[in-house]
Amino acid sequence: MASEARHRRRIRFLKRVGLYAGLVVVVVGFAFPFYWMLTTSIKTRIETINPAKWIFSPTLENLVFVFTKRNFLMYLKNSLLTVASTTLLSLVLALPAAYAFARFRFKGKENLAFTVLSLRMLPAMCVVLPYFLLGRFIGILDTSLILIIVYMSFNIPFAIWMLRGFIEDIPIEIEEAAWLDGCTLTRSLFKLIIPLIGPGVAATAIFIVIQSWNEFALALFLTSFQARTLPTMSTMFLSVTGIVWGEMASVGVLTTLPVLVFSLIIQKYMIRGLTFGAIKG
Amino acid sequence: MRKPRRGSYWTSRGYLLRFLLPSMIVLFVIVIVPMVFLWYVSLTNYDLGKGWDQRHFAGLSNFLMLFKGEDRDFWPAVLTTLIFLACTVTLEFIIGLAVAMLFNRTIAGKAVWMAFLIIPLTITPAVIGLMWKLMYNTEYGVLNFLLNFINLKINWLGPRSALLSIIMVDVWQWTPFVALMLYAGLQAISTEPYESAVVDGASSLQIFRFITLPLLRPMIVVAVLLRSIDALRIFDTVYVLTKGGPGNITELLSLHIYRVGFEHTGWIGRSSAVAIVLLIMATIITTIFMRVVNITRPAAIANRIEENTSGFGSAA
Repeated sequence: MASEARHRRRIRFLKRVGLYAGLVVVVVGFAFPFYWMLTTSIKTRIETINPAKWIFSPTLENLVFVFTKRNFLMYLKNSLLTVASTTLLSLVLALPAAYAFARFRFKGKENLAFTVLSLRMLPAMCVVLPYFLLGRFIGILDTSLILIIVYMSFNIPFAIWMLRGFIEDIPIEIEEAAWLDGCTLTRSLFKLIIPLIGPGVAATAIFIVIQSWNEFALALFLTSFQARTLPTMSTMFLSVTGIVWGEMASVGVLTTLPVLVFSLIIQKYMIRGLTFGAIKG
Repeated sequence: MRKPRRGSYWTSRGYLLRFLLPSMIVLFVIVIVPMVFLWYVSLTNYDLGKGWDQRHFAGLSNFLMLFKGEDRDFWPAVLTTLIFLACTVTLEFIIGLAVAMLFNRTIAGKAVWMAFLIIPLTITPAVIGLMWKLMYNTEYGVLNFLLNFINLKINWLGPRSALLSIIMVDVWQWTPFVALMLYAGLQAISTEPYESAVVDGASSLQIFRFITLPLLRPMIVVAVLLRSIDALRIFDTVYVLTKGGPGNITELLSLHIYRVGFEHTGWIGRSSAVAIVLLIMATIITTIFMRVVNITRPAAIANRIEENTSGFGSAA
C-alpha cells in the first residue's frame, strides 16, 4: 500500500515537472527571437556575424550610430506626430458614435455597426492604391496628414466597437435613474459614463497607439522621405549582402520597446482588443 | 436640446444624429469614397508612367486578363495565398490549442508566464521581419548555427523553403493570439460537465472530444475566421523577408498588388483589379465572421456581468 502511494506521488511530481518543462519550451520559443535581436543590437560588428558568440561584453555603438547616422530622431518625430494625432482624432470621433450604438434604439443599427466593423478588415494593400492616387491629386503624399487620415480609417471603426463594448458593460439603469433626478443626456454622458469607462477609453487609446505605431505598408507607399515613420526604417536593411546586423537590430529594438511596454499595460484587455470587443475574455 | 417627451432619450432622432453623424460622415469620406475610386481605377488602363489624362476606360479587360491567365503570376499568387492561409490557420489552431491547454492548469506565477505570449502579438510586424531575417541568414543566422549540431544546413529564404519560412514566422507571431483566445474559452467552461463525465467513467480523450471541443467551438470559430482574414491581409513581414521572392515563391496576392502596381511596372489599373479580387476574398470571410459575431453578441451582452469578473486578466 505504501509503495502504491509513493508511486502515485511520483507520477504527480513527474506531471508537474512535465508541465513546467512545457511552459519553459513555450516561453523560450516565443521570446527567443526578441532576445536574439536584443543581444544582436549590443554586439560589435564582428560578433554579430558569429552566431556562436552567446556571451560577450555589450557595446552601445550600434545604438549611437542609429541616432547619429540613420536620422532616427526624424523618424521618431514623424511617428509621434502621426500616432498622437490619429489617436486623439479617432477617440473624439468614435466616442459619441460608440455611445449611440450602445444606447440608442434605431432602425438598421446592427447592420450599420457591422458595416463600420467591416471597414476595419480592409487589406492595407487594397486601401493603399486609391490613397496613393488621391493623395497625389491633392498633393498630400509624403505628409503626416495623409497617414493620419488613412490611419483614422481603420482606427475609428475599431474604437467605435471597443468603446461600445465598454459602454454596454455599464448598466443602463444608472443613466435612467439620473434622468429622473433631472440630469440631461449630455450631462449623464460626461459626468457618469465617461468617468466610468475611463479604463476602457485608456485601453482603446493604447490599442490605437500600437496599431498606428506598427503600421508599415501604408507608410511605405504613401510617404517617401519627409513623413516616414519608424517601421519604414526596416527597408534600409533589405539587401541581402552587406547588412549591418547590429544597426538593424538596434532599429528593431528601439521601435518595439515602447509598444512592448504599452502592451503589458493593457495585457488584461488583449483578447478584447484583438477581437474588436467581440470577445470580452 | 430638451428631453424628448415621454420617457427616453434612446429614441430621440436629434441626439442620435448629433452623436452618430460626425464619425459616419468622416468614415464615408475617408473610406467609402477611396474604395469606390479603387473600383473605378480597376476598370481603366491607368499607368503610373503616363499621365492621368492618358487613361482609358477599359471595362472588365483587367479582370479578364487576370482570369484568363495572361498575367502569369496571378493564379500562382491566388494558390500561394490559399496555401499560406490553410497552413498558418491550421498550425496556429493546433499549437494554440496545445498551449491553451497547457496554461489551463494551476501554475505558479501564471501572469508572468503569460506575459511572454504578448511579445509576438504586439511587436511591429516589419521588425518581426527583420528579426527573423537575422535568424534565417544561411551563413550567420542562429537557426543554422543550432541546426549545425545535427549536421543540417537550410537555405531558409531560398526557393525550396521560403514559403515554409514565412509560414513559420506567421505561426510564431499569431499562435499566442489563438492560445489566449482558447485559454479564455477554457476558463469560461464550468467544471460541472467534467465532473459528471468523470463519474460516468469517460476517458480523457473522450472528455476532450465530446466536452472540451464542443464547448470551445464559438471561440474556435471566431479565432479561425479572424486569422483567415489576417492571412489575406498580411504584407509587412513577407515584404521585409522576401518581397515575394525568390521568383514568385512567396508572392501572396497582397505582394502581387505591390509588384504590378509599384515595382518596375506601375500598372495601377491592373494592380487595382488584383486588389479588387483580394477585397472580395476578404469581404467573404469578413461577412461570415460578422454573421457569427452577430449570433453570439446578444448572449455575450446578457452575460456581461459574469464575464467581466472572469477571463484572462483576473484569472492570471
